[in-house]
Amino acid sequence: MMHAPRSLQARLLLLLLGLMAGVWLAAAALTWLDARHELDELLDGHLAQAAALLVVKQTGDIDDDAPGVDAPTLHRYAPKVAFQVFHEGRLSLRSANAPLRPMIEGAMSPSGFQTVQLDGQAWRVFAAQGAERDVRVFVGEQLASRAAILWAVLRSTLWPLLLALPLLALAAWWAVRRGTAPLRSIGRQLSARAPQALQPIDMSGLPDEMLPMIAALNDLFERISALMEAERRFTADAAHELRTPIAAIRAQAQVAMAETNDAARAHALQATLAGCDRATRLVEQMLTLARLEGGAAPALQPVALAELARSVVAELAPQALARQQQIEFDADGASASQVDGDATLLAVLVRNLVDNAIRYSPPQARLRVSVAASGRQLVLRVEDSGPGLSEPDALRLGERFFRVLGTEQSGSGLGWSIARRIAAVHGATLRVGRSTGLGGLAVEAAFQLRR
Amino acid sequence: MRILLAEDDPLLGDGLRAGLRQHGFLVDWVRDGEAAERELRAQPYGAAVLDLGLPLKDGMEVLAAVRRAGITLPVLVLTARDGVPDRVKGLDLGADDYVLKPVDLNELAARLRALVRRSHGQPQERLQAQDVVLDPAARSVLRAGEPVLLSAREFDLLHTLMLNAGRVLTREQLEQHLYSWGQEVESNAVEVHVHHLRRKLGSALIQTVRGVGYMLLREAPRGAA
Repeated sequence: MMHAPRSLQARLLLLLLGLMAGVWLAAAALTWLDARHELDELLDGHLAQAAALLVVKQTGDIDDDAPGVDAPTLHRYAPKVAFQVFHEGRLSLRSANAPLRPMIEGAMSPSGFQTVQLDGQAWRVFAAQGAERDVRVFVGEQLASRAAILWAVLRSTLWPLLLALPLLALAAWWAVRRGTAPLRSIGRQLSARAPQALQPIDMSGLPDEMLPMIAALNDLFERISALMEAERRFTADAAHELRTPIAAIRAQAQVAMAETNDAARAHALQATLAGCDRATRLVEQMLTLARLEGGAAPALQPVALAELARSVVAELAPQALARQQQIEFDADGASASQVDGDATLLAVLVRNLVDNAIRYSPPQARLRVSVAASGRQLVLRVEDSGPGLSEPDALRLGERFFRVLGTEQSGSGLGWSIARRIAAVHGATLRVGRSTGLGGLAVEAAFQLRR
Repeated sequence: MRILLAEDDPLLGDGLRAGLRQHGFLVDWVRDGEAAERELRAQPYGAAVLDLGLPLKDGMEVLAAVRRAGITLPVLVLTARDGVPDRVKGLDLGADDYVLKPVDLNELAARLRALVRRSHGQPQERLQAQDVVLDPAARSVLRAGEPVLLSAREFDLLHTLMLNAGRVLTREQLEQHLYSWGQEVESNAVEVHVHHLRRKLGSALIQTVRGVGYMLLREAPRGAA
């Protein structure tokens, strides 16, 4: 089994040359058939005419006294042509190369063509019947001579074609090569690119057939470039964000080293640890976000959202209580409701929302976390009695490292990005609004209820 | 030396304040840009440490506004932004130094001392007037080569007077240099400290300009012993 060549150029060339050879062969076959047909018609006509002449001559001028007289051989082609004239059953005239017996034995057919074997040669014989005195004439011609003529005709027509074939092949090769030049030029252009070069390929002057491919490639370049830009920005932002906690750790550690007062040293050491915790949390958040943005879809399993939210609230309640905040959880009627999701990620989502509410609400604020079924949706809601958000701030929430100004809390601004991404991979969107019950911020995530 | 620290991060701000205090600075700490600008306009700080990513008003804006108002105190910008364009912009807007987080406290203190010294036209780390030499880094004072023991306030007062040698400083100005926020200013504290300084360093060093304030003389007045 032969494989098609991998090169487009070779493939085109092979196809073209094959087609050319096919057309050439078909033309040769047609010429052969046509020429043979015409030749047969012409020569058969001559045979018939010759026979008719002999019949006429024999009827008018019978020389019974000179039977079997050989006619002279006049032409170099003559040996290939033979005739016999029978008069009342006797051979009265024949060519030198004609046999003595009738070329068509016992033929009752009055006249017509027949192909017979004489002395191992194929002959085309025309038999004619005189109307009077029982004259029978046979005119024959060697078939080999016809083939020779046919070959001569074919040779003269096919030789130029055969000679032209290599030239045509060369021309086809040149044409194909020229036609595929833009492909090679694009290939060269692409392979010469630096790995970071993601600017689009210039599409002007490209053949129409290549436009969809190059357009798709340009589109890909654009997406990769956007992705790399986002990645680069994230890395830069992340590095900057890490500088502050590291600076804090360093400063506090240096203070602790130089401090002679025990209480002050203990304070500085505590602060050093707190700085480490914060840097750790920031790194964890960045990793979570990076994993989420890597685009790997989580394995979805039935999750009892209310139970999960309850345990997160239980975990974070001490933080709220430390700020003298009241925190309550409500999942009336939705305790058993499930959503399709990743329990770990959903816990991160709830933790981020509740943690934000605790951090950014003032001391003594009221916080409420609820899970409630609404139609075909299960809605997680985190509300507080804090100051809420201004319109522009609400719009900027979710931008990485965006923090609301004027807050005492040291957040990374990553919590929102993470919460939003987790909601997105679960097909839910985060909605930010004002809490009707508590007056502060209300954040909602509506999930598809599992049936 | 009284300085203003503008830093919104609680842990870092707390650490810097404590660390700079260990190096003998009086530190007032503000956590947003508006407070920083307000304080810089209102108080005669020796220097300011300014974070750029401040809430309410960006550090760059604070710096530009302060410079527009003609306040020339040395400003050290402390930031996480390390791009060359950021540095150039910060220096163009009037920052005297640009330090990247995280910073070594000793280095920060040394840079602040250098900024303060240069802002007073002092090329030397050590300040000298008559037979008194003050070393801000070591917080030590020598008189005729002999170490003199000063209290923190006395040292700060002498430091301020030496930096402004030849100029009259009012009592209020001196008080503002000596006390950070929340510190009770005792009445006639400046007089008491000047009295102690004269006792320890000789009476020719600090002159009283009656009804105005005090001036430190770099050279001993002619005819004085």
